[in-house]
Amino acid sequence: MKKRIFYACLMLGAAFLVLPPAAFAGQAASAPAAGAPGLRYEIWVELDAAGKMLQGKEEIVWTNPTGDTVPDMLLHLYWNAFKNEASVFMREAAAETMFGGGEAPEEGEWGWVDITDIRLADGSDLKPSFQYVTPDGPETAGDQTVARVLFPAPVRPGESVHLRIEFRSKIPRTVARSGYYKNSFFIGQWFPKPGVYEEGKGWNCHAYHQNSEFFADFADFVVHITVPRGYVIGSSGKESGTRTDESTGTTTVTYRQAMVHDFAWMADPRYLKIERDFVAAKQVTAREYEEAAGLLGFTVDEVRLPDVKMILLIAPEHRGQIDRHFRALEAAIKYYGLWYGPYPYETVTMVDPPFRTGSGGMEYPTLFTAGTRVLASPEELSPEGVIIHEFGHGYWYGLTATNEFEAAWLDEGFNTYSTGRVAAKAYGPGAPSFVFKGIPLSRLIRLPKSFDFELNRTAAIHTVRFDPVTAWSWKFYNRGSYGANVYMRAATVLGTLEALVGEPAWSRIMRTYHMRFRFRHPTEHDFIGVVNEIAGKDMTWFFDEFIRGTRPFDYGVASLSSVKVPSRLRGVFDENGARTEWTTKKIAELEAAAKAPEVAPPAPSYRTTVVLRRYGDARVGGDAQVQVLVRFKDGSTETRTWDGQARWARLEFLKPVEVESAEIDPRGVWLIDENLANNSRAVDGVRRNVAKLTTQILFTMQIILHFVGSWS
Amino acid sequence: MGIFKAILNGMGTTLRKPRLLAILYVVNLGFAAAVAFPLLLIVQSELGHSLLGLRVVPLDMMWLGEVVLEHQGALPALAGGIAFGAIAYLALHVYLNGGIVGRLLDREGPAGLAAFSADCGRYFWRYVRLFLLSLAFYVLTLGVFMSLVSALFKPLTEAAVTEWLPFFLSNVHFLIALLLLSAVHMVLDYTRIAIVADEERKVLKALRHALTFLRKRFFRAWALYLLIVALTVAGSVVFYAVFVRLGAPGVAQVVSGFLWMQLHVIFRIWIRTLFVGAQGEFYRAHPY
Repeated sequence: MKKRIFYACLMLGAAFLVLPPAAFAGQAASAPAAGAPGLRYEIWVELDAAGKMLQGKEEIVWTNPTGDTVPDMLLHLYWNAFKNEASVFMREAAAETMFGGGEAPEEGEWGWVDITDIRLADGSDLKPSFQYVTPDGPETAGDQTVARVLFPAPVRPGESVHLRIEFRSKIPRTVARSGYYKNSFFIGQWFPKPGVYEEGKGWNCHAYHQNSEFFADFADFVVHITVPRGYVIGSSGKESGTRTDESTGTTTVTYRQAMVHDFAWMADPRYLKIERDFVAAKQVTAREYEEAAGLLGFTVDEVRLPDVKMILLIAPEHRGQIDRHFRALEAAIKYYGLWYGPYPYETVTMVDPPFRTGSGGMEYPTLFTAGTRVLASPEELSPEGVIIHEFGHGYWYGLTATNEFEAAWLDEGFNTYSTGRVAAKAYGPGAPSFVFKGIPLSRLIRLPKSFDFELNRTAAIHTVRFDPVTAWSWKFYNRGSYGANVYMRAATVLGTLEALVGEPAWSRIMRTYHMRFRFRHPTEHDFIGVVNEIAGKDMTWFFDEFIRGTRPFDYGVASLSSVKVPSRLRGVFDENGARTEWTTKKIAELEAAAKAPEVAPPAPSYRTTVVLRRYGDARVGGDAQVQVLVRFKDGSTETRTWDGQARWARLEFLKPVEVESAEIDPRGVWLIDENLANNSRAVDGVRRNVAKLTTQILFTMQIILHFVGSWS
Repeated sequence: MGIFKAILNGMGTTLRKPRLLAILYVVNLGFAAAVAFPLLLIVQSELGHSLLGLRVVPLDMMWLGEVVLEHQGALPALAGGIAFGAIAYLALHVYLNGGIVGRLLDREGPAGLAAFSADCGRYFWRYVRLFLLSLAFYVLTLGVFMSLVSALFKPLTEAAVTEWLPFFLSNVHFLIALLLLSAVHMVLDYTRIAIVADEERKVLKALRHALTFLRKRFFRAWALYLLIVALTVAGSVVFYAVFVRLGAPGVAQVVSGFLWMQLHVIFRIWIRTLFVGAQGEFYRAHPY
């Protein structure tokens, strides 16, 4: 019976492989690389809410997509990261130098997953060969997040293998965005999942590291979730049936989704479930279509967006923020769609994370978690920022499914950059979060608003000395370096690249990269290839310097001066066969005579010297130049360029007026420059604003001291 | 005497002694300038000749990040300097308290530097002992008592099903701490007043005087204290509302902004003297 159901589901799943036509609009080369995915899952899982357990069965059909003959399979068992302190995850958390490792779980709060049975469809038992392995080196011994099974016979190229797995899991108490709190459950990374088989290299299946997210192959999923009756479920994929069993008091809901590489769900009896439609015809104006198409060189029809079913699961205490959630999601669907490509799935589920499940701000295919507070300020872009960000992951992690263990920046950096763009377009700059005891104060005390790219840069410039952006996730100096590099520095580098190549080329780069590698696993080489192709020049130097390198980038104006050129040079000169000595006194007399009203005065002349310096070790490359804008006191300007290779350069100008200021990089291309204050220099100083700042600092200190004095 | 009359009388006393206010303001300004000097130097050296100075604001993220990076080696020294300055200012205020209370309780007496300094010296060691005693008070209240409140709330917080209960309890906890702190501050204020008003040399006896006084009229005294706190909050709101409307930094805005900020500092110092003046009036109007 079970076998028949399985094959029926497989056939049904195959029907899902035909993606909406809009998914590929405007891009010829966007179809999944291998056509039908080589991986299919059907999972039956039952939640034991009282015992905090999952009981599951899983059928996996894996087709060998390579030319290799594969003798085994490596499986992720992520929840064993929360099993004990021998796991890589727990050991890395304990060794964390910046944020600390957090508190150890109490009794009954650890989590784990056991494979109780694993065999092939023909009944061959694979359990005897089952063993935990440590693909990330012997130092990870003791970790049980990766297991290996041997096939009775190797799987040859193009052949399929059909596994049946039974598993039992203890749900952890809120760790790494999975877990439970009372009757609320968020279930992510929960089922045994094969790694990604790479031709010639074998299984890419890393242990669960603290500073890492995930990597898996695209697959078709059919998942049957059984929960106690009355629970509200949110899940990846599209709901396709519900069955209630009165005898057991349970409800089983089936979800299906093709072409995704993970599947997450939540269950909570208190939750509200609201559905709305993203209707493209209402959300996107004709002008917006024209702008997007114009920038990309497409027709309007090629950038047209499909409708999407939006599903929100939200805690009752946050019901007042329902509209805010949907508005942010609509903005994200619209701009990600217009800029990078249409959202290819029928549904997107947005989950307000259940209280104390620690599951906020996380992405899964077609489902993500946001996060808000009972009192949310309209001034702050929260929850909007996290909604845009986590939906955006559906593009960079979900569709261009890069390896987050080995190249986290290709997801986090791209998405941080994209989040900033969408948030700026939809909302403008945001106020910094200013909350005291859960009460937002940003309406009372207005702090300066800022764009994401400004905040990102602030973090990015500090982190370059620790690691390159391209380091593997768990090999960063600490969690702070990981976060600042793969999120903020990568985003800042992309912002710099955007300014360097210009908006039209950049728009085509991002669109082409995304659509060309949709449903594939691109690497940084793929992105660099697209950049070089669209930019029409070799930009590899840029990535070597800013992504793979660890050298600080800082150009500046070191000095600036104008000196009046005397009407004559002093000294002894042989002129017209005679020897004349010009002294200061003689020159002054000559100049005084020239000032006589009857004699036309010679135009004064000033020699302006601007000294530029390369303070950092990083330098511009290729045909990129550093631009310098010099302003003179009569309002005239001169622009020069410098190749930026030497440590310094001196520029000279002979003008009838003195210099006012000099500014390096006046267009603000080099966002990655770590000191913008030294990018410009004004001869007369900039008094008013600095004076204001000075008085404010003095005032702040006066108030602080007055407060301290009141404790005497 | 009612609390409003005490406040009005206290206002009268403080306003009759502008020299006292001037002394305290000059001390505050001079000390703050000295402590802030390294920061002001950094601002000048970083932005004095940079075009970035045209648009930078105190919390400009583009600049703050790089200034921290640029001076990260000096940050511990800077923070240490500010902390040292704050502690020194606290110690100085223990000394100045004698002058503040002494001059304000001498309603018709002079408030010049000589008389002020004489009172500072006269009461200094008594106020040092009171300061040490106040530390024990703070440990007892903010440390021990508030820990007990936390322990009381913890099971409720841990059992919460939604955010509301932890949110509510956290704010109640904070409110209790604030009220408790205000009560402790008030007790210490009346002890300072008792030391001067009763010419009491023993600090513990002065504390007993204050507690005996408060035992009979605690809530009225507390209301007086909280009314002055409310006046401070109202003044700060007015200050902020005007300050944010000063606009772009033209010369007039910079000058008026500076004057407005200094006026607020003077207001805050005056409030400090008002606490002493009003509570002193209240204390002397109710012999115990």
